[in-house]
Amino acid sequence: MDVSQYLSVFLDEAKEHIQSLNDNIMILEQDPENEDCINEIFRSAHSMKGMAGTMGYTRMQNLTHDMEDVFSDVRGGKIKIKSADIDVLLQCLDAIQEYVDNITENQDEGTDEHQNIIKALADIRNGTSGEGAAAPAAAPAAEAAPAPSADTAGADGSSDYRAIKLDPSIKSTLEEAVSQGKKLYGVTVHIQESCILKAARGFLVFKGLEEIGEIAVSDPSTQDIEDEKFDFSFSLVVVTDESKEKVEEIVKSVSEVEGCECGEFDLNGAKTTEDKEEAPEAAQATAPAPAAAAAPAQAAASGPAGGKKPVGKPVVNRTVRVDIEKLDVLMNLVSELIIAKNSLISAANTSGVSNSNVNEQIEYLESVTTNLHESVMKVRMVPIESVLQKFPRMIRDLNKTLGKKMELTMTGEDTEMDRTVVDEIGDPLMHLIRNSADHGIESAELRAQRGKPDVGQIFLHAFQDGNSVVIEVGDDGNGIDAEAVKNKAIEKGVVTPDQAALLTEKQCVELLFHPGFSTAKQVSEISGRGVGLDVVKSKVESLSGEVTVRTKLGEGSTWVIRLPLTLAIIQALMVIIGEEKYAIPLDSIQSIEDVSPSDIKFVENKEVINLRGSVLPLIRLNEVLDTESKRNPDEDMVVVIARKGDQQVGLVIDELMGQQEIVIKPLGKYTAKCKMISGATILGDGEIALILDTNSII
Amino acid sequence: MNELRDNVDVGELIQFIVIKIDDEQYGINIKYIDNIVRMQQITRVPKVDDYLKGVINIRGEIVPVMSVRMKMGLSEDTITNKSRIIILKTGEGDLVGIIVDQVNQVLTLDVNNIEKVRYDDKKSTDQAKFVGGVGHYEGGLVSILDLDAVVSEKEIKEKSSSAS
Repeated sequence: MDVSQYLSVFLDEAKEHIQSLNDNIMILEQDPENEDCINEIFRSAHSMKGMAGTMGYTRMQNLTHDMEDVFSDVRGGKIKIKSADIDVLLQCLDAIQEYVDNITENQDEGTDEHQNIIKALADIRNGTSGEGAAAPAAAPAAEAAPAPSADTAGADGSSDYRAIKLDPSIKSTLEEAVSQGKKLYGVTVHIQESCILKAARGFLVFKGLEEIGEIAVSDPSTQDIEDEKFDFSFSLVVVTDESKEKVEEIVKSVSEVEGCECGEFDLNGAKTTEDKEEAPEAAQATAPAPAAAAAPAQAAASGPAGGKKPVGKPVVNRTVRVDIEKLDVLMNLVSELIIAKNSLISAANTSGVSNSNVNEQIEYLESVTTNLHESVMKVRMVPIESVLQKFPRMIRDLNKTLGKKMELTMTGEDTEMDRTVVDEIGDPLMHLIRNSADHGIESAELRAQRGKPDVGQIFLHAFQDGNSVVIEVGDDGNGIDAEAVKNKAIEKGVVTPDQAALLTEKQCVELLFHPGFSTAKQVSEISGRGVGLDVVKSKVESLSGEVTVRTKLGEGSTWVIRLPLTLAIIQALMVIIGEEKYAIPLDSIQSIEDVSPSDIKFVENKEVINLRGSVLPLIRLNEVLDTESKRNPDEDMVVVIARKGDQQVGLVIDELMGQQEIVIKPLGKYTAKCKMISGATILGDGEIALILDTNSII
Repeated sequence: MNELRDNVDVGELIQFIVIKIDDEQYGINIKYIDNIVRMQQITRVPKVDDYLKGVINIRGEIVPVMSVRMKMGLSEDTITNKSRIIILKTGEGDLVGIIVDQVNQVLTLDVNNIEKVRYDDKKSTDQAKFVGGVGHYEGGLVSILDLDAVVSEKEIKEKSSSAS
């Protein structure tokens, strides 16, 4: 069977399962008795095994199979998970991840069989339970339903028509049918394990049988079969006039059905639900499933079978997977639409059509395009969670390698950002966290000396702030020693001693972002390859964001990354400088002030103004942009107060045009030399305005 | 854009747009031309090389415009009614505009009538650096522009560094 078309689904699901395993094993480490967790792990391992088998990845299948076995024993109470076992399990996860990575790259799982891990897993099982081998390997369903229904379950542990329990009302209907001379057949259908659309096969069986008779009851229920809530077999009782052979023939004619068992259904031999000891299940209407498949949620507490229910197969999600490129196309079209809308507005203004109807329609159009843009943007937004998920595990590993005690707390995992930004931000964040773990948190002795709790705290907070997303990564460790940084910088030749003497503490700390700077005295595997923070900085800046640091020696440091919500369409302030129009992103603007030329003071020969108590340097944009100001020098100046981090400057412009939604267009490589311009936009009249990058001007 | 030279051996007819820069005629292979537009307002980009005149809006796309005259070391363009911007497609699919003094005609040349210029000759003058071949036709001779050289950034850096 050609499975390549399912490869992407397989990979997506495998990643989800690995993540879920990872999370749950971490929880298990804290709370080894957590049953939900064990069930969850078992279920994930089981699904992975099935998926790998379907796709023909036998090595991955073997490994997940052994993992599943371990948890099957844990569920059965045969063994308990010890903390040493957690390491083995995590190694096992890494190995599975490796398979998945290999498959992602070249559709091949690789040749590493990870015998050592398989052996370690076997040791876990044998360690406390000599009868570990007794757990049947090939019948996962039997493991899923060991206790209450073991007596009735079929030899191979899967569903069996003889085990169907009847609701009293159904039983009486069946008795009536028998008295009318109809025949009752019990049928158990086995579907091939490689079958992708089990529910569809089940449906076809039902449809076929309903043509010759009536299906009285099925196990699991029809609804569950349609929702694929069953393993690879299901049973049903059919009332018909036809012969047994006919029934078998119909079932076997459905493709991907491996086989079926069919026999007369003995009404008297069948159990009724009243025989059943578990009260909550009896309350369910028709034929509740015997443990194996979709047991009702209440059973979760009472028996291991309940584990099937919660998250394994979420109730069909009403979502569609869309290729990101298609969204890009959509976004571009929205951009075009906004440009067209802007043109229409300016055309209406210049042509002097002041018809109120036209204006009304234009306003309506404007609100539609703005909403459209927002919706498309939202579609592209994903929670940052996917990136953060791997960090708890990383910190756990770092705890061991560094021999420090650390704890990671994260908030705001549900903060949403543009998909492209989320994809890119993982590495910088990972670097900052490693940095905190390696350089930030002190050794246990030093922490004790300083009277700090012995477990170091590393935190990550993500939140939305206006039109940007802020991610803070910090620790309660040593903080940054500005002097040490300065000395190091001099030693490395980043600054001369004379320059260094003039630096403020803040500027010293910022030297850390200088390329080729690493303060680690020893280069460790965790951080300190000398390509650290400058890479973080350039990555963040390439996403039009900024990174700053707050630190206090002895108390810890916090790195703050600020990123724009979207990269394609922004709100901007349109200004005129000389005879040219420029756009300044609204995010970076604090306020707009009128300043009289007489208020300009000079500090070290540079123009500054005093604004509500703080002294800001003035930058005359016409000088920076090599153009002539058209404004009379005696007139009041229009000053745009822009900020970069907590630094503020006043940008002197000639005239304000107003706020506008603009579409950012790249300028291309020929103009890359000009760092002050981050892009261009097309105005309503087709004219081009350049977008000023205030960060590089400041 | 290397195909320009490769095509020479195929033995077919190639169409060229003949343009005028100063008093010299140059041919541009028509397949590299996206569009020819009238002179329009060019938005200046600060702090870039002199030859880069700025950017224009072509069907909603931002296209850089450069002056071939300045690249060739000639005097600044004088914009007349006949000035045009020729929009070229570069190898990577980007658009680049070049300003020319005049567009004269479309010329069809047999590849056999195009002579490659020997490499040594290329070093002779600034203008010659941008000539990839010479075409013969009844009316006379036309230099075929080497568009790789015209739009490349590398050439310019060498030039500007040697100039400074």
